[in-house]
Amino acid sequence: MAVDTAPAPALVDDRAPARHLKAGITYLVLGALLVVVALTWLGGHSTTVAFDKTLTDVRWDVPTFGVVLALGIACAAAGAWMCVGLPQRRFKSASAAAVAAFVLALLFWAYSQEGTVFRAESILAGALFLSMPYIFGALSGVVCERSGVINIGIEGQFLMGAFTGVLVANITGSIYAGLAGAMIAGSLSTMLLALLATKYQVNQVVVGVILNLLALGFTSFMYDQLKKADGLNDAFSVPVISWGPLADIPVLGPVLFQQKLFVYVGLVMVLVVWFLLYRTRWGLRTRAVGEHPAAADSMGVNVNRLRYWNVVAAGLLAGFGGAWFTLGNSLAFNKNMTAGLGFVALAVMIVGRWNPLGVLAGALIFGFTTQIARDLSAAGSSVPGEFLQMLPYAVTLVVVAGLIGKAKAPAADGVPYNPGDK
Amino acid sequence: MSDSTTAEAPAEPPAPAAEPAEDKPNFMRLFGRYLTEANSVMVTIYSLLLAFLIGAILLIVSDEYTRSTFTYFFARPQDAWYASRDLIVESYTALFEGAILNFNTLESYQAGQAEFGNLLRPLSETLTYATPLIFTGLAVGLAFRAGLFNIGAQGQLIFGMMGALIVGFSLDLPIWLHLPLAVIAGGVAGGLFGAIPGVLKASTGAHEVISSIMLNNIAALFLVWALGTTFLHSTVKSDLVSKPVDDTAILPTLLSSLNPSLRVNLALVIGIAAAVFTWWLLSKSTFGFRIRAVGFNEHAAATAGMRIGSTYTTTMAAAGALAGLGGAALALGVSSGGITTNTALDYGFSGITVALLGRANPGGIVASALLFGALKAGALSAQPDVPVDISTLLQATIVLFIAAPALVKAILHLRTPRGGLVTLEAKGW
Repeated sequence: MAVDTAPAPALVDDRAPARHLKAGITYLVLGALLVVVALTWLGGHSTTVAFDKTLTDVRWDVPTFGVVLALGIACAAAGAWMCVGLPQRRFKSASAAAVAAFVLALLFWAYSQEGTVFRAESILAGALFLSMPYIFGALSGVVCERSGVINIGIEGQFLMGAFTGVLVANITGSIYAGLAGAMIAGSLSTMLLALLATKYQVNQVVVGVILNLLALGFTSFMYDQLKKADGLNDAFSVPVISWGPLADIPVLGPVLFQQKLFVYVGLVMVLVVWFLLYRTRWGLRTRAVGEHPAAADSMGVNVNRLRYWNVVAAGLLAGFGGAWFTLGNSLAFNKNMTAGLGFVALAVMIVGRWNPLGVLAGALIFGFTTQIARDLSAAGSSVPGEFLQMLPYAVTLVVVAGLIGKAKAPAADGVPYNPGDK
Repeated sequence: MSDSTTAEAPAEPPAPAAEPAEDKPNFMRLFGRYLTEANSVMVTIYSLLLAFLIGAILLIVSDEYTRSTFTYFFARPQDAWYASRDLIVESYTALFEGAILNFNTLESYQAGQAEFGNLLRPLSETLTYATPLIFTGLAVGLAFRAGLFNIGAQGQLIFGMMGALIVGFSLDLPIWLHLPLAVIAGGVAGGLFGAIPGVLKASTGAHEVISSIMLNNIAALFLVWALGTTFLHSTVKSDLVSKPVDDTAILPTLLSSLNPSLRVNLALVIGIAAAVFTWWLLSKSTFGFRIRAVGFNEHAAATAGMRIGSTYTTTMAAAGALAGLGGAALALGVSSGGITTNTALDYGFSGITVALLGRANPGGIVASALLFGALKAGALSAQPDVPVDISTLLQATIVLFIAAPALVKAILHLRTPRGGLVTLEAKGW
């Protein structure tokens, strides 16, 4: 669109120092704020870090003042460097460092309150566990959108998985049957999306939102109906798998080797989907279908059939993620228990730039945020619990606003393909 | 049916030449043709029928007794048949009685034991539940015309509720000033909150579906927090209820002179006025022209010198204001005694279905708000015999078919209408 009246930006040499005034000033201000906070409030405070699972007698008392001051200065320095001008290739790492310093300082500040202890192992393990629905949902989104179908219905597939998982587990008495049921339910609900998106070429955003409502209505309706019958919605729990001696390694043990099945499946699926997308023939075709379906078609790929089966397969992942809400958390099903996390997963997919490894990173950030919010509100923070609960949603908002313009979706994402058109 | 292939032929413009060749179209023939065609009217009718059919199947499957009769279906099929029939008739009658006319009341009215007002109660409930839906439906529908999918009506409604509530209890004014001011406050609060996704989309390209869903969650949590503050929290009750609105800011009821239980209030009139205004805005004003131009083709609109970003922002603000007025209708109307976290129900989400069923036309939105209001009133009065979520389920099923006319066409083997199938579009990332 050539309607912009602003003068064209001057051509910049990539290796020459470049200024990033907007970002630089932002980090400078954030860093300065931290310094001010440290100087005015944090004198004499200390933050306690504990290793609560393996080394129960170790507690580190860190002076909050010094840490926040140092991190604030680091953040401001990164900002100043950007204002002065830094080599283009250093920009990414500089801004990552500035953000990390800022977040870390906030953490130290939050946990400097009397009575709060940063229980490093529980918090990190919990963060990994809480990132699982985002991983499954976002991976499902990645598979759909890489093949050119927008899946806004992840929330609905979560609900279907969560509901069916508990139902099947109760009927059969087996958690694993429940997990399989959840996957099939998720896949059945994406099948509708796949059918409408490929065969009937319906607008995918509209259908996705409707499928969410449909899943909400269906699961709530069935929940009310089945509540009358006994023993169909009892909580089942997935056992914690502990890897013997590995589980006793400080920090790493509780986080990686003492988790529920979901965590292992989630981490493995990240690698599997990455491998499938970038190292196999199927992956090449899928990406081709999402970027340029007409070209893929001319090379003999049946675009709509591939899209259909990819979306159906993605439903398996989302359904498994849905089971996390009930079976994973040892909870019975409840109406609308996914509480918008399916949409957060969509944001994670965007943060991860439609790449499974990026999804893992994004999901970990969101899981960590959620875990910190929960931990702080349980510890009785001075910030109202409602605001802490808003944190994942607010982060999603910021992330989507900050990234979506820069992250490129697959070119044919959401565009129905009709072979006759070309 | 057999000539459906000719109707689908792409080279349509000179088609009238083929028409006169057939023998003179009489009324029955045209009517039959109309019935078997996937035009918007028939798709709507068939969607409703299909949805109620699916609802019936789910009722049968999920009802324990009826399901048990199917276990010996081959021994005594009549048991299963009668049980299913009774279940369906009872459930849908209960919905009808809660929404339109209660037959028991009708009998006692004819026997002279009930007043006329009692007879109107289900209708009044339908109108009461339809009122917020008109506003939220307009909020979603208006944004649709600009190519924006506003899922944030729920949050906008919540903020509208709070805005109207605060003006409603904190100011001391005569009624002719207080009431309009409180209503406007609701609209402004909703509009400001609704503008956020618009601004984000205009400035950063963030997709409005995600940002408005996030804002819905934020608004719901904010309401929980706000209700707990001393400023909003009720001084008499201990549970999470707000202060009541002053008498001078309460929307007067329309029919309570007939019977005090008739809750329908002035908000209904405001809602219809808002629909008329939205119609005027969309089809007669410059702003509406810009909205539609951007919705049809943003590149063309940009080439014509329209500012896309500011259109997104203003459209979302206007949509938010409409939803906010719906919030005001709740806070100053049925919930004037104090709002809770439950007051907003799912009006915002139902607004999506209302707008889709109404095909983003103000007139259609009012009609579908009435239909879904009736469903809601019926479901609420029929519970616990009928699960209350049957209304959500039916709504979602109806609009699924509405949004996918090709599906209805394929299921029922309908003809393609002259202008093609009518669908609503929302943009991807």
